[in-house]
Amino acid sequence: MRKKGWTMRRKEGIYGYIFIMPFIVGFIGFTAGPLLFSLAGSFTDYNITSQMEFIGVENYQSLIVEDGLFRTSLWNTLYYVALSVPLTTLGAIFLSALLNQDVPGIRYFRTLYYLPAILSGVGVYLLWMQLLEPGTGMVNLILSWVGIDGPNWLFDPDWTKPSLILMKLWSVGGSMLLYLASMQGVSKSLYEAAEIDGASRWKQFIHITIPMITPVIFFDVVTSLIGGFQIFQEAYIMSGNGEGGPANSLLFYNLYMWNQAFESFDMGYAMAMSWILFVIVFILTIINLKLAPRWVHYEGEEK
Amino acid sequence: MKNSFKVIVLFLCSILILSGCAGFQTSNSDEGNTNEDGKTVVDFWSFWGSELRRPIIDKIVADFNASQDEIEVKHTYSPWGDIWTKELAAIAAGNPPDVVINDINATAIRGQENQAMNLSEFYDDSFSEKFYPELWNATLYEGDSYGIPFNTDTRVLYYNKDAFEEVGLDPEDPPETWEELEEYAAKLDVKNGESYDRLGFYPLWGVGYDVWLLNANGENYFGADNNVDTVNVNTETNVEVLNWLKSWRDRIGEDVVNSYQAQIDSQQGNPFFSGDLAMLVQQPTFYTQIRDYAEDLNFGVAQLPEYEPGNGHTSWGGGFVAEIPEGSSDPEAAWAFIEYLTGPEAQEYWAVQNFDNVANIEAAEAAAQSDEFTEEGQMVYQMAVDSMENTLLTPAPVEAPGFYNYINPKVDEFFLGSLTAEEALAQAQADVEALIESNQ
Amino acid sequence: MAKTDDKTVYMDKSEKAKSLSKPRYFEHRGNRNNMWKVFNFVLLAAGSLLILSPLWWMFATSLKTMQEVMAYPPSFFPESWEWGNYIRTWQVAPFTTYTINTLTITTLVVFGSVLANSFIAYGFAKIPFRGKNIWFAIVLSTMMIPGFVTLIPQYVLFSKLGWVNTYYPLIVPHFFGSAFYIFLLRQFYMTIPTELIEAAKIEGASHFYIWWKIGLPLTKPALATVAIFSFNGAWNDFLGPLLYLNDENLYTLQLGLAVFKGQLNTQWNYLMAGSLLVLLPVILLFFFFQKYFIQGINLSSGGK
Repeated sequence: MRKKGWTMRRKEGIYGYIFIMPFIVGFIGFTAGPLLFSLAGSFTDYNITSQMEFIGVENYQSLIVEDGLFRTSLWNTLYYVALSVPLTTLGAIFLSALLNQDVPGIRYFRTLYYLPAILSGVGVYLLWMQLLEPGTGMVNLILSWVGIDGPNWLFDPDWTKPSLILMKLWSVGGSMLLYLASMQGVSKSLYEAAEIDGASRWKQFIHITIPMITPVIFFDVVTSLIGGFQIFQEAYIMSGNGEGGPANSLLFYNLYMWNQAFESFDMGYAMAMSWILFVIVFILTIINLKLAPRWVHYEGEEK
Repeated sequence: MKNSFKVIVLFLCSILILSGCAGFQTSNSDEGNTNEDGKTVVDFWSFWGSELRRPIIDKIVADFNASQDEIEVKHTYSPWGDIWTKELAAIAAGNPPDVVINDINATAIRGQENQAMNLSEFYDDSFSEKFYPELWNATLYEGDSYGIPFNTDTRVLYYNKDAFEEVGLDPEDPPETWEELEEYAAKLDVKNGESYDRLGFYPLWGVGYDVWLLNANGENYFGADNNVDTVNVNTETNVEVLNWLKSWRDRIGEDVVNSYQAQIDSQQGNPFFSGDLAMLVQQPTFYTQIRDYAEDLNFGVAQLPEYEPGNGHTSWGGGFVAEIPEGSSDPEAAWAFIEYLTGPEAQEYWAVQNFDNVANIEAAEAAAQSDEFTEEGQMVYQMAVDSMENTLLTPAPVEAPGFYNYINPKVDEFFLGSLTAEEALAQAQADVEALIESNQ
Repeated sequence: MAKTDDKTVYMDKSEKAKSLSKPRYFEHRGNRNNMWKVFNFVLLAAGSLLILSPLWWMFATSLKTMQEVMAYPPSFFPESWEWGNYIRTWQVAPFTTYTINTLTITTLVVFGSVLANSFIAYGFAKIPFRGKNIWFAIVLSTMMIPGFVTLIPQYVLFSKLGWVNTYYPLIVPHFFGSAFYIFLLRQFYMTIPTELIEAAKIEGASHFYIWWKIGLPLTKPALATVAIFSFNGAWNDFLGPLLYLNDENLYTLQLGLAVFKGQLNTQWNYLMAGSLLVLLPVILLFFFFQKYFIQGINLSSGGK
């Protein structure tokens, strides 16, 4: 390691590549091939089993110019992302702030609030279909206790996406875990110092907790944005096996793509869709990354 | 340091132990057609894994295996719906199973796409006569069959005889026409303020609007043999039918409809069982649920009412085929099994044990007489067999895969009130025509 | 903002752990503080009712007979509590085998994920090297392409390797990191003070040593999170086992649960009983893993 002529920087550079080598190997070995294949396939009429002929940008052209369902699905997905990302982020921060306190039974509370995030699969979505039933369902029952006449949820195109967001909020415990892990890392001495200065709980939260957990907020926003664009299974089950819900209000991007790929076997078309989505999400993520230095605070960074 | 060292050693040991496990033994994809006894192994995938269906299909497989010297069928369960994603991946990788149960309505498309094998080399001209013609025709692409019909279903009207009697209707005289249906339903309604203590009928529970369109027209949206030169979405009859369906919704009230609908969709709590709903359109196998979950219910069963007297009791069905995926290692052995699976013996056994409509006519008719059914069971099964005569399938034309994805949303908008029936159907017609054009 | 004296933090954790391990509920630190805690408790308790009510529905359904499940209107409490449902559920399919299979896969996946992702993330967070941003963009990009379109080519790839009908496709890729966890752990490593690492380097420590002796201990809460997430992910994975396992003896719990949902009807009571049984290990794991979060407090609560 002490070879002559190796500057510190070069040595660091080699170390860096050693550390990320597992990813590079895995990427080249398992991921890059299928990714490139899907990119190539997006310029063909690939149908999985018998044909794959080059058709130029025809898929992209008909998607952007002609396909009304493509636009519907993109709009639905943008709507969902724009609402769900801020709401679930705020919900998770709020919840983890509550769960980051010394109150009796805190371990039980944490487990309890995390429970919905563990539950997955078809059963849960069918369960929610029942909870959201407009007549005797539990959600509207609870709303009626506080004098609200609940909406028709999954039957009303205006309420189908909010229904899904409600369900997402229920299982916000998943990202709560991230915030909790991050908040546990915030030094107690900061709070104690603030308390001596007479800062209120709210002020402490805003001026100490929030800045200290910005790295994780940033992570949560970026990943739930990426994940939000790929919402699929909830919509697939809750819209009656992939049919898109009332008036196509649950026809999300990935659902439409799925139908193209595995119902109509137009995989080339689906691949073109996936790369359009990639470009959209990539741009949004780059914007996020560029904005990050303005608000994300890394304790470990040199100033 | 010591601790972590221990962990790693422990981990490596467990890997070594695990590598003995089946899940870590790789096999090369070329083997697998023959077992130790030298028999050809036929890989058979189905989605029949429940405690009700599994023993029945396993028995059929075992019977077949017992009759064979050269072939052994290995049955594997794979989850409903997802089984076909798995099949497709296996076909793409060139290592598919040999027989798969698949949806009858997409058989022609799978044939066109080279997913399923052309079976015409295996059967002769008379083979098709064993099956209901409507089913057989649904499996054809360019005149050749790509999957042999296994089971099917139809839609019939269940009605509550006690409720009929209570309001002075003859329990042996179910509604024959749409008009009677409306009249009976109104009589059967028991209103209680805003809600209902009993609802007579609502046409869109159990089936979709498309079944009523089919019933009124006596034919599918497309021309003869499913050709797409004519697209009959936007027709006067269809406008009338949609408006008729909407009138039920308006009369009963949106809230009541949605509330019941959610129950029925979630497959829990069925109001027909409790007598809160007097009539319901369902499959014949719905009888087994009545038998198991509502044994005291005094019910009758009838064919779907006619649009107008003499118009015909047209009903709708679907079903499944046994197909050989393209790339199967031994199609001949696979065919031997399919022949048995769709033959009278296996079909009758399946029909009787599952109370399922089967595709083989001889077996279906024999099952209707089966002593294993109760009197009620025989009644329902006979009705199912009778209804098969009037049952149409709606396979997607190869030029219009997933065409209903273009019609359904427009019809939704009609029911929600944002489009008139004429507008909705005109838009749907245009969308379907555009779809066909893009696939030609 | 006050900066903590974190350099000494990781040294004296055991001592601090002792002093903090006793519960300090409602200790006397002024009225306002107590009021706040009572308020907090009430809020959490009320919220847990909202969280629990859907779960109650699952639980109640799991104890009903099918007749009762199908009754209309649905009942809130089971009429007869059919605890036997749980036993019958377990017997419908070979669930014991499925549990062992799922545990095998899950354990290896968790091990691989924690190890590989923390290793890779350290590289991205704490070592400056040329091309880092491009590689990090590639990492993030792998999350952005929907899995459906790579599903078939990936299957074909694993099939060529002879890995179909084995656990390898479900396990091996996790040993090469995945974008979500790399990104997550990177965020946590970024908060470790650079001076800490520089100091260690001056003392002659290599990056491997720093990662193992400083990086890992300091990010325990994050590692616990990754462990829980990846456990949860592997435990609940449906699509992977569905695609790659052909032999029913290799099936996992999630594939087993699917038998209750058929084409025409769903055996709700068994499905719910099965789902709850399958949930149990994850709940227990989470409950006991929490102590790593508590350790998190100790690590950086020093410098007082």
